[in-house]
Amino acid sequence: MPFTFPHFGSLTHVFEVVMREVGKNDLLLPKKPNRRTAELGARYSPEFICTPFKLTLGTYIEMLEEGADELGSGSCHSWCRFGYYWPVQKLILEDLGYDFKFICLDYLRPYILLRTLQKEIGNGCSLQRAIRAVRIGWIKNRLTDLVDDLLYKYRVIETEKGLSEKMAETAFKIIVETKRLRDIKKLRKQLPEFFKKNIDVQKRDNLIKVGICGELYVVYEAALNLDIHKKLNELGIVVKNTVSLRSYLDMGLKLNPFVKSPYKTAIKAAKPYIENKCGGETLENVGDIVLCKKHGRDGMVHLYPFTCMPEIITRSFIPQISQEYNLPVLSLVLDEHTGEAGFSTRIEAFADMLIRRK
Amino acid sequence: MKKRVGFPNALLFYKFSILWTTFFQELGAEIVISPKTNKIIKDLGVKFAPDEDCYSTKLYFGHTLYLKDKVDFLFIPRIGSDHEVNVGCPKFIALAEVLKSMFPDLPKIIMPFFSMAKKNHGRFKILRIIFSIGFRFTLNPFRILIAGKRAFDAQSKYDEELKFSEEELHKWENSKIFLQNLSIQEQRKTPLRIALVGHPYVINDDFSSVNIKNLLLSRGIDIITPDQMPKALIENQMEKLDYNMYFNYAREILGTTMHFIENNSIDGILQLIIFSCGPDSLIGEMSARYSSRKPGTPLLQLVLDELSSETGVLTRIEAFLDMIERKNEFRRNEENCHLHSLILDH
Repeated sequence: MPFTFPHFGSLTHVFEVVMREVGKNDLLLPKKPNRRTAELGARYSPEFICTPFKLTLGTYIEMLEEGADELGSGSCHSWCRFGYYWPVQKLILEDLGYDFKFICLDYLRPYILLRTLQKEIGNGCSLQRAIRAVRIGWIKNRLTDLVDDLLYKYRVIETEKGLSEKMAETAFKIIVETKRLRDIKKLRKQLPEFFKKNIDVQKRDNLIKVGICGELYVVYEAALNLDIHKKLNELGIVVKNTVSLRSYLDMGLKLNPFVKSPYKTAIKAAKPYIENKCGGETLENVGDIVLCKKHGRDGMVHLYPFTCMPEIITRSFIPQISQEYNLPVLSLVLDEHTGEAGFSTRIEAFADMLIRRK
Repeated sequence: MKKRVGFPNALLFYKFSILWTTFFQELGAEIVISPKTNKIIKDLGVKFAPDEDCYSTKLYFGHTLYLKDKVDFLFIPRIGSDHEVNVGCPKFIALAEVLKSMFPDLPKIIMPFFSMAKKNHGRFKILRIIFSIGFRFTLNPFRILIAGKRAFDAQSKYDEELKFSEEELHKWENSKIFLQNLSIQEQRKTPLRIALVGHPYVINDDFSSVNIKNLLLSRGIDIITPDQMPKALIENQMEKLDYNMYFNYAREILGTTMHFIENNSIDGILQLIIFSCGPDSLIGEMSARYSSRKPGTPLLQLVLDELSSETGVLTRIEAFLDMIERKNEFRRNEENCHLHSLILDH
């Protein structure tokens, strides 16, 4: 029974690790979404559903054609359509005549998440093993985020083009393959050294730093955001993702009283504008934009898929925040029709503006 | 002088109008309700609202801007959910704050927050909200309490009157009673029964629904809307799904559609979908898929936005009605043939 899940940027490695840890070795790793994936997904999707739905549906169809028959999907119970992805996708795929089974992981309810991992994916493994799997998942998620940050920094200052991308690939491989918890914890110091040792850099002062916030899938999935990180890097801008799956998954960060969670700080900063959670990452994003200067960033890019309900709310606050704090914020809507040229033009204009401001 | 409180006549006002207006009336405030949606309000909304918001939210912006200079307070509650598990639309929570952020010159907004599912708000929270609002208008705590009680009583009475019992629904399905008082009923030889499903703020808003409700009524068609359906029946339908439908206001719509698709007891279902409404995009797809799996009751889905024209909608509805009539006639003929052949056999 090959098991598969949607491609999700660097988080794909985290999902793979969690599945392997509970003893699911029959994995069919998802391919990177391409033009065909988007077309397949858009053909069978509802008219004005958000774009991640279309891309994940396309991925499922492609993977089903390759022989997968267990599909993993996230689920939630919040003010967002994400929890309905699998029911609707199930209806669509059934009508297309595929034979499969959906396994959904409710990431907002830890106990149910562990039970599903234990019973449906882990084939009845012990609860401890499921807990250990999730724990290793969040620890490795910190590492994948670290590698992402390193890549988005070194790609700007590298002398040999394309080397840091190769290094990042190797680093992801190391992260996935390291098994013992002690070794995994060591990686946190080893990875920056690994990058430093292998990549020749050309030191530059006054690098422009930009934070990227928005809807999780769009920020992580290079196929949907047209690799905005690379585009900004090529223009000489260091970028950093401010949103992460860790805001839900990282229990270690939540329970540790000595570490301040950046997500909680962001939520606090958003209070004057919006007080209550309204699904997705609205509060975190508003807070991150408010705290932009405090974190030493020169500007923010806000990405969201077309018709995303929570992020439209964030978008409505941006003009006020941008005016009050004198911040450059670029808000971009993305869907499967986004043209590469128009997108690049806007990013270049934004970059030029940042350089002139500096 | 009485303080004037403004209510934008859109979105959740269609559901909770009695509760809100009674409460403020009892407190001694002057109620200002924006007029029914018209072209001026629509233009205001489309011009100033965020581009990607759904059409209904844009109209809400129009209503609020229309009231801007006419009131001292605006009442825009932030309702997260009014059910233990299920939630509402995220825009209902953020509406007040978004409006405040986008238009700094709006009058003071009264925005109580209530969320049963995520924050476990209950009766105590309602009491706190009632008092925090009430002390802005009067200093007499008993008056505030009585106002709150009367408001909730009035709302529950209204809801009870609106909902039909299962018996009544059954009778209606067997065409023994009529829900609407139709004077032109005689025009039609056999009365048509159609379920008009959609959000209450779409169906009851003549402007955004392009007057579909009155159009159907004027043709002698008996209609039922999701908010008239008995609650037990809808919950019954929802239990048949293998997932929890957690958008509370979408439950009614999907439940109504599923009930009539399953029982095949009426002539057709007409679903109104608002462009770029989040929950609608899903329930529209679900209804279509369920209907195609169990064909029998025709389903017409109309997507409405600010560019919908009355003529275009009229054409499609006429075609839909013609189709239903032809289908009924075909069925009647078949039954007659069947009867005829039975007689001949004997």
